[in-house]
Amino acid sequence: MPEPGGNAHYTEPDPRVTGTIRYAQDVELPEMLYACVVRSPYAHARVLRVDTSALPVDVVALTPDDVRSLGLYGCQMKDQQVLAVERALYIGDPVAAVAAASPRAAREAAELIEVDYEELPAVFDAVEAMQPGAPLLHPDLAISENDAAYFGMRPEPQRNVCHHFRIRHGDIEQGFAEAEIIVEETYRTPSAQHVPMEPHACLARWTADGRLEVWTGTQTPFNLRMDLAGIFGLPQEGIRIIAPPMGGAFGSKTFVRYEAIVAGLARKAGRPVKLVLRRDEEWLTLNRHPATIHVKLGAKRDGTLVAKQVTCWANTGAYADCGPGVAQKMGFASPGPYRIPHVWVDSYCVYTNLPSNGAFRGYGATQAVWASERTMDLLAERLGLDPLELRLKNVLVDGDRYCTGEIMHDVHFADCLKAVAGQIGWQRGRRGKGLAVLLKGMQTPSRASIVVEANEDGSYTVHCATAEMGQGAWRAIRMLAAEQLGVPVERVHFPVPDTDIVPYDTRTTSSRSTYMMGRALVEAVRQLKENGELGYGECVNEGGLDPDTGQGIASTHWHQGAAAAEVHVDEETGKLEVVHLHTAIYAGRIVNPPAAQLQNEGSMIMGLGSALFEEITFADGQITNANLSDYNIPAADDLPRITYDLIERPGAEIHGLGETALPPVPAAIGNALFSLGIHVRDLPLTPERVLEASERRSVHSAASV
Amino acid sequence: MAAMEIHFTLNGQPVAVQAEPDEMLLEVLRRELGLRSVRETCGLGICGACTALLNGQPISTCILLAPLAEGCEITTVEGLGGHHPVQRAFEEVQAFQCGYCTPGMILTIKALLEEEPEPDEETIRRALGGNLCRCGCYLKIVQAAQRAAALLAEERRPQPGPGAAPVS
Repeated sequence: MPEPGGNAHYTEPDPRVTGTIRYAQDVELPEMLYACVVRSPYAHARVLRVDTSALPVDVVALTPDDVRSLGLYGCQMKDQQVLAVERALYIGDPVAAVAAASPRAAREAAELIEVDYEELPAVFDAVEAMQPGAPLLHPDLAISENDAAYFGMRPEPQRNVCHHFRIRHGDIEQGFAEAEIIVEETYRTPSAQHVPMEPHACLARWTADGRLEVWTGTQTPFNLRMDLAGIFGLPQEGIRIIAPPMGGAFGSKTFVRYEAIVAGLARKAGRPVKLVLRRDEEWLTLNRHPATIHVKLGAKRDGTLVAKQVTCWANTGAYADCGPGVAQKMGFASPGPYRIPHVWVDSYCVYTNLPSNGAFRGYGATQAVWASERTMDLLAERLGLDPLELRLKNVLVDGDRYCTGEIMHDVHFADCLKAVAGQIGWQRGRRGKGLAVLLKGMQTPSRASIVVEANEDGSYTVHCATAEMGQGAWRAIRMLAAEQLGVPVERVHFPVPDTDIVPYDTRTTSSRSTYMMGRALVEAVRQLKENGELGYGECVNEGGLDPDTGQGIASTHWHQGAAAAEVHVDEETGKLEVVHLHTAIYAGRIVNPPAAQLQNEGSMIMGLGSALFEEITFADGQITNANLSDYNIPAADDLPRITYDLIERPGAEIHGLGETALPPVPAAIGNALFSLGIHVRDLPLTPERVLEASERRSVHSAASV
Repeated sequence: MAAMEIHFTLNGQPVAVQAEPDEMLLEVLRRELGLRSVRETCGLGICGACTALLNGQPISTCILLAPLAEGCEITTVEGLGGHHPVQRAFEEVQAFQCGYCTPGMILTIKALLEEEPEPDEETIRRALGGNLCRCGCYLKIVQAAQRAAALLAEERRPQPGPGAAPVS
């Protein structure tokens, strides 16, 4: 039988243009059944009884009793069961699932399952969830053995905290004592949806010898395999993950999503089972962390920064997922790319009764940069300084020490800032214009490995776990291999990753793959040239932070960029129009120029959505805009003038660039508004918020006359 | 509900398929006819990932009841063959990332250029208002539309006859 998925070779014409590309949702097996999930209508409730007696005989149901004995999972905290067994923790938490002969039969069957609940008190805000007396989501908490739990986790389950990350650098009290001016503000950023065009899709089957095979749109095949092994009590080699190309992911297709549910159904049915999510279910699966961030920044009168204290509350929802990692990166991005002698950061990852929040393009930096860079403009205004000059005075340069204690190399923040300021016409006048700069870490530590094999027909095959979600990593790796092997790119094949074949890779996240795999490839090709048959290479980046002090190596490779925006505001209606958006990012050496441009343009456009209108709205934990009519994403006719620089340097190494331009965009637009005296603390910058802030300013000016 | 038989022309070939009366054309194209270029994202007729041409006009197949396609001409990207000028333009410009929205974009631009062979940028952007791309390829998609217009104009130009002077 031909294996589904197939080989996605880039023959001419491109399968994306002919429509012949096969995504995870297109994989099919004979005799397969279709799944549908039954979800909790309560934000927090005890699950008393799941009654499947009304189901037709040919429908297979998975209920809490079927999964009670299976292992707990979670990529960083072991806090989740395959279904909500004792308590459902958010509106949408899966409590049962069915498999039937068609998607329609499955949907109809799901409605026949009756569940009795006892409603419990719920909490939705991260700051409230940490208060005494708040409902506790996970009173007993264990840290995951998955290698995605790669840093020291500091859970405090008695106040709903699954991780408390700290930076302790210098002497914060002394720092504020030395400060001649202190600004302080609290910011909020909302939850957002990734909206991959292709929904989550997965298919599982059990082989006659008891192996589990899963075809799934995933960025993390090996992390997924580890958690599935724990759930089903199998050795990792007993599980095979095949990862076809995805119709977009942006962080959403990571770790265990529905693979355990379809595997459970498939085992019970004795047949393959496939699930493709309905669009509204995407909002019940994984979103971006809403965050509250308090910033206190102290400086000398000449603008020299001396002290910064930041507290982040990252709302991770019902299950931690990789929220501890997001809170950590939010924490170490929040001081910003500046020389500050005294830094104190507390970043909390907090459980609430919302759907889980996890990896989202930007990974905590979007929230951190909004707070950090808006505060820089508050300080500039108080000091009467040009916001660009204030930044250039303090920005990190080569050889500086960051607040994590690491020495910074290959630093280009000032170049990025100067580039965006020039393109936005900063010197011609700053009214209606704003700037922001970003530093963002890459997954550290991590390991990438790759095998290159010579085929009999003179072509080569690359075996590599890197996932393709549109970012162009497969093409970039093929181009690098072709360049080193001295053959046209068409002679290098990149089969769909299959964990039975490809060597280990940490995961396809944090804009690391072209950089890390590119380095691993050099050794693999060298070996292959020696023996003529096969080469193996790996790349390891080592580092990590002390979780209690935040000291160490946060990242071996810093993503660096800046954004500038020019805006017009209609002060009668609050309507904000972005006229021009420019970003400059440090790109090192670019492998595939059109793909690099597309990644940067896509980051900017996603940043524009986050700045202007993307926000998941809730009413008592119930999402009120879980569809693309009420939740808007940018369309072609929403765009301002968009320009950018990808800054290359002769002799530089490859640099990740898949998400660098997103985080500074909202902050640059917010600062452009602030240049007009309109101070908005919370994203997105809706007409209502702009109008309210604009009226607040008018009252202040009237009062001060 | 009893399934019914529906007849229409798909990519130039007459087809007869079984469908439930309340089924959308998208489900029928995927399940009964095996087409994978029509894809569901929003399910509301907003995003354009399920676009097909119905008698030459772009429609959202996720909200068109299958029986309403009776007697119509339906075109999907599979019917363009792979070397249509709009497809070639998308390749040249590399106007895609994940490629999920690409077939819908190509069909929408094909229909636009048939009605308006030389659209300005604003017209293109407006025409694409119902086709979402979460990867954010819009700048290059607009360029691809412009390039496709140029390729189609070249095709329309009368071919030089045997006696024509060589172009210098």
